[in-house]
Amino acid sequence: MAEITLVEAVTQALAYEMQADPSVIVMGEDVGKNGGVFRATVGLLDQFGPTRVLDTPLAESMIGGLAVGMAVSGLKPVAEFQFMGFIYPAVDQIINHASRIRNRTRGRMSCPVVFRTPSGAGIHAPEHHSESTEALFAHIPGLRVVIPSSPARAYGLLLAAIRDPDPVIFLEPSRLYRYAKQEVKNDGKALPLDTCFTLRVGEDVTLITWGAMVKETLAAAHQLSEEGINAEVIDVATIKPLDMETIFASVEKTGRCIVIHEAPLSCGVGAEIVAQIAQKALFSLKAPPERITGFDTIVPYAKLEKYYIPSEKRIIDAVHRLMEFA
Amino acid sequence: MKIFHLPDLGEGLAEAEIREWYVKVGDEVKVDQPLASMETAKAVVDVPSPYAGKIAELHGKVNDIIKTGAPLVTFDTGEGIVDKGSVVGKLETSEKKWDEGEVIIGSAKASSGNVKAMPAARVLAKQMNVDLSLVTPTGPQGLITPDDVKKFISQQAPTVSLPGETEALHGIRRVMAQAMAQSHLDIVPVTIVDDADITDLPPGTDVTVRILKAMVAAARAEPALNAWFDGKKLERKLWEEVNIGMAVDAPEGLLVPVIKQVEKRSDEELRQLIDKYKKSASDRSIAPADMQGATLMLSNFGTIIGRYATPILLPPMVAILGCGRSRETVMPRQGQMVIGRLLPLSLTVDHRAVTGGEAARFLRAVIQHLQGK
Amino acid sequence: MKIIDRFEIPYYQYLDEESHLAEDAPPLARDTSALLHLYRLMVLVRTLDTKAITLQRTGKLGTYPSTRGQEAIFVGVGNALEKNDVFVPYYRDVGVLIQRGVKLSQILQFWGGDERGNSYVDSRDFPFSVPIASQTLHAAGAAYALKYHQEKQAVVSICGDGGTSEGDFYEALNVAGVWKLPIVFIIANNQWAISVPRSQQTAAHTLAQKAIAAGFNGEQVDGNDIIAIQHRTAEALKNAREKGEPHLIEMLCYRQHDHTTADDASRYEPKDARPTEWKKEPVARLRKYLEQMGSWDDKQEEALQTACAQEVDQAVQDYLQLAPQPLTSMFDYLYAQLPHAYLEQRELLEEMEKTHG
Repeated sequence: MAEITLVEAVTQALAYEMQADPSVIVMGEDVGKNGGVFRATVGLLDQFGPTRVLDTPLAESMIGGLAVGMAVSGLKPVAEFQFMGFIYPAVDQIINHASRIRNRTRGRMSCPVVFRTPSGAGIHAPEHHSESTEALFAHIPGLRVVIPSSPARAYGLLLAAIRDPDPVIFLEPSRLYRYAKQEVKNDGKALPLDTCFTLRVGEDVTLITWGAMVKETLAAAHQLSEEGINAEVIDVATIKPLDMETIFASVEKTGRCIVIHEAPLSCGVGAEIVAQIAQKALFSLKAPPERITGFDTIVPYAKLEKYYIPSEKRIIDAVHRLMEFA
Repeated sequence: MKIFHLPDLGEGLAEAEIREWYVKVGDEVKVDQPLASMETAKAVVDVPSPYAGKIAELHGKVNDIIKTGAPLVTFDTGEGIVDKGSVVGKLETSEKKWDEGEVIIGSAKASSGNVKAMPAARVLAKQMNVDLSLVTPTGPQGLITPDDVKKFISQQAPTVSLPGETEALHGIRRVMAQAMAQSHLDIVPVTIVDDADITDLPPGTDVTVRILKAMVAAARAEPALNAWFDGKKLERKLWEEVNIGMAVDAPEGLLVPVIKQVEKRSDEELRQLIDKYKKSASDRSIAPADMQGATLMLSNFGTIIGRYATPILLPPMVAILGCGRSRETVMPRQGQMVIGRLLPLSLTVDHRAVTGGEAARFLRAVIQHLQGK
Repeated sequence: MKIIDRFEIPYYQYLDEESHLAEDAPPLARDTSALLHLYRLMVLVRTLDTKAITLQRTGKLGTYPSTRGQEAIFVGVGNALEKNDVFVPYYRDVGVLIQRGVKLSQILQFWGGDERGNSYVDSRDFPFSVPIASQTLHAAGAAYALKYHQEKQAVVSICGDGGTSEGDFYEALNVAGVWKLPIVFIIANNQWAISVPRSQQTAAHTLAQKAIAAGFNGEQVDGNDIIAIQHRTAEALKNAREKGEPHLIEMLCYRQHDHTTADDASRYEPKDARPTEWKKEPVARLRKYLEQMGSWDDKQEEALQTACAQEVDQAVQDYLQLAPQPLTSMFDYLYAQLPHAYLEQRELLEEMEKTHG
C-alpha cells in the first residue's frame, strides 16, 4: 500500500468512486487534459474518458448551474472551482438553488453535488488564492461543509461527500496538499460525515480546529505535553452540520477550550462553536473560551502571509492563559 | 504521465508473468517498440509500446504476475517538461510522514468530568481557596452556586497552622476527622436524655445485650428511627431488620462494627458477637462487610465514664443511642427513699427525618424494655 | 481585409395581425382540432390569470406575475414538447405547465406560499426559478444529462427579455454551443423588464442573435401567432433531439399587465402602449381565424368561458381548502435525513404546533 499525499488521496477517492458509480462526473476548468492545476484529477481523463471528465469553459457560475442541472437529472457531479477565491460567481447557484431544491420541491428533486476547491493561505500565491470563507457556506441551510485535514480523511470524507444525496462544499487545504504522506488504503471505505475526529486525547484543555490548522494545533499540543499540559485535539472536519456532542463531552472533561481556525475572527465558525459551548457547557468551564484565528483583514500578499496564519506560539500562549485561571 | 495497463494478451486471459524486460526506467521508446516478454497460459508474447515517451516506472519485476488491466508501465509523455504541479504559488512538498497517532471517530471516552459550577461560584472558590469538589451543590442538575460556596466557607473553621513538628492523620483517625466534619455539615441533630431504672434487673444480667434488645423493641415501636435518610433527594428507607452498629474503642481510634439482624439473635449469640468484635477491633481483623449496613447506632461510652452526652450520628442513619455509666443513687419509691441503680441514656436523632415525638417514644420504649416491662 | 463571418436572423409569422394566413403556413394551420385545443388552453390560461390577480387583490394569493397577452408563447411551446422532454420554466410559464400534468391548484399553491406547489407528480420538469436566468444553466446541465444517458430527448428553457442580460444566460448559451447540447432556449420578449424597456436592456438589434455569438442559430417569431410559435418550437426540438443541435427562439409579444401584482406600471409605461398592442393580442387573433374557418362561434365561446370559469373556480376551491403544512415541514425536506444538529430546533416547532393548534 502506497503512502500518498492529501492531493493524491483526493485523486484516489475520485478514481475509486468513478469506477464504482457510473453516474459520477468530474468537471471544472483544466481538470481533464491538465489533470487539474494541483494535479488533483490527474489520470482521470485517460481512465474514464471525456464524457465523464469535463474540461469546462471558463465560467464559474456556469460550473455551479450546470452541476445543479446535472445533479437534479440523475448524475453525481463533482465540480471543481480552481481556487476558493473564484467560487463567488457560483454562490448564487449554490445558495439559491443547490441548497434548496430539495426543500422547495418537497423532496421531489434533490441535488447530490460536490463542489470541491483548494482553500486557505500559505502557498505564497498571488492575491485571491488564499481564501478561507467557509463561514459563508456554513450559514446556509441545506448545505454541508466538509474540510479534511489529512490524506486518510481527505479520501474517506470525499467518498462520503460524493455518496451523500445532498450538496457538499468540500474545501481542501492547499498548503497541506503535498505537505506529508500517509498510508491510505484504496478500499472505498468512507468516513462518517457530521462527526468530529479526536486526534489526541487529553485532560487539560480542548483544542478545536479543522483544515490546515490541524497541523499547527497538533504541533502545539506536542510542545505543551512536554510542559506537562495535555491537550485534547478535535478535528471538526464537518463544519456544517456541527457534531457538538463530541465537543461538549471534551469541554466537560477539560473545562478549557480554544477554537483555532485560519478564517477571519468575526463571525467565523468558531463563533458558532463558542456560542453553543457558552449556552450548553458554561458550567463546566474553568476559563473563558477563546478563539485563535486569522485577523479581520484581507489575507496579506506573500511577503506577510506567514504572520496572518495563526502560529503555534499563539495557540500555546492561549493555553497558558487558560491554565492560569485554574 | 500515461499509464499503460496490461491488455488482454489473447482470448480472455486473466494475467501474465513477466519473463523479461526489454526496457528500463529512463529509456526513450517509440510506438510499437517491444517493452517486455510476457508469458501467458498459452504462449510467450512480446508486448509493444502504445506510446512514444520516456519510461517513468515499471510496475513489476521479472517473474511477477500482472493481472490483465493492471498497470504495467508508466510513461512520462511530458517531452521533458518538469511538472510543477501547480499554476500559482509554491506548495510545501516533502517525503515527511503524516504525524498522527490513533484517530478516534467522534468523542474520546470521557472520564467522570469535572464539577459543574456557575462561573461566579468558580471565581469565589478560587478567591477563597475552596476545593469545589468538596462543596455541596444545590443548583439545578447538580450545579454549584455561589451561595453553595459561601455556605461551605462559613462552615469551615478558620484554619490554624500547627507550629513545629506535626503528625499527619492516617487510617481510621483520618476517616473519623472527615466523617465527623461531613456529618456536622449534613445532619440536624437533637438529643433527648433520660434514665432507665435498672434496679430490678436480676444480678448478672448482660446489660449490653439487654440494651441491644431494648433498641429492637424501640425500633418496632418507632420504625422512623430504624431508617436511612438521603438529604439531597429527600428520600428515606425504613428497614425491617435491625442492624446495630456498636462503637468500639480500638487502639487506632473509633471503629463501628455492625451486629446484623439483632432481632433474630439469641442473647448468647449477641454476647459472642460483642466479644468477637471487641477482640477483632484490637487486632484490626474486622472484615469490611461487618462494618457496613448499620440501621441504628449504639455508643456504650459508659463502660469508661460519663453520664449524658450528645452522641454524633453518621449519615445515612438517623438515630444513635448513647449509654452512660450506670450508678447507684438515692431515689424515691412509693414515698420511700431507696438505693437504686440508674442507667443514663442519651438519644440523638436527625431532626430532618425524625420528629421529637418519635424520638421520645423510641427512648420510652428502650427504657420500658430495660425496666422489665 | 476579408469578411470572416456574417449572420442572418429570420423572422417567422404565419398568422398576421388581421388573422390572415401566410402561404407557407405549416399543416397545423389547417388542423382544426389541434387549433381548437390550443385555443381552449389559451382561454383557460387567461381565465386563471385573471382570477389569480383577483385573488391577490383580495388577500388570498401572494405576489403574482400575470401572463396576460403572452398566452400563445406558453401554450404553443408546451404543445410542442414531448412528454419525456425536460422543461425548465422561469415564472410565467403556466401555459406550459398545465400541459405537463401540473394542476391549476398547484400553480395557485406556489404563488399562495406553499412549497407543495412545486412537487409536480411524475415529472422531470424543474420548478419556477426566481433568480433571473439562473435556470438557463440548469437547463444546460439537464441537457448534458440527457446526452450522457443517450436519451433522444431535449430541454426547453424559457426566460424573459431582461434575463438575456444576465451572465448566466450567456454562460448557458456558450456551453450549449461548445458542448452541442440538445436544448432550445426560448426568450419570451414582452418588451419590459419591470420598468426597463427592451431598448434599454441591450444594444443588440435582436436578442436572437446572442445565439450567433455562442455558435448556433437564433430566430425571431411573432409571439402573438400561436401557429408560428408551435411550429417553430417543434422544429427546433426535433433538431435538438435528433441532431443534438441547440437553438434560440426570441418570441416577441407585449406584457398586458404590470410586471407582477406588486408593480405599478403606470409609473413608467406610456399610457397608449397597452391599448395599441392589444390589437395584436393572440387569443383574439386565433379566435377570429377559427371563426373565419367556420370552426367557432359565439355560442361555443360562451360555453368555453363557462367551462373555464368552472374549472378555475374548482382549482381555487381546492387551493383555498388545502390544509397548511405542519410547522415541522420547514425541516423535513432540508436534507435526505435531517442531521442530528437540527433536531432540537425541529422539536421547538413541534411544540409551537401543539400550542398553535
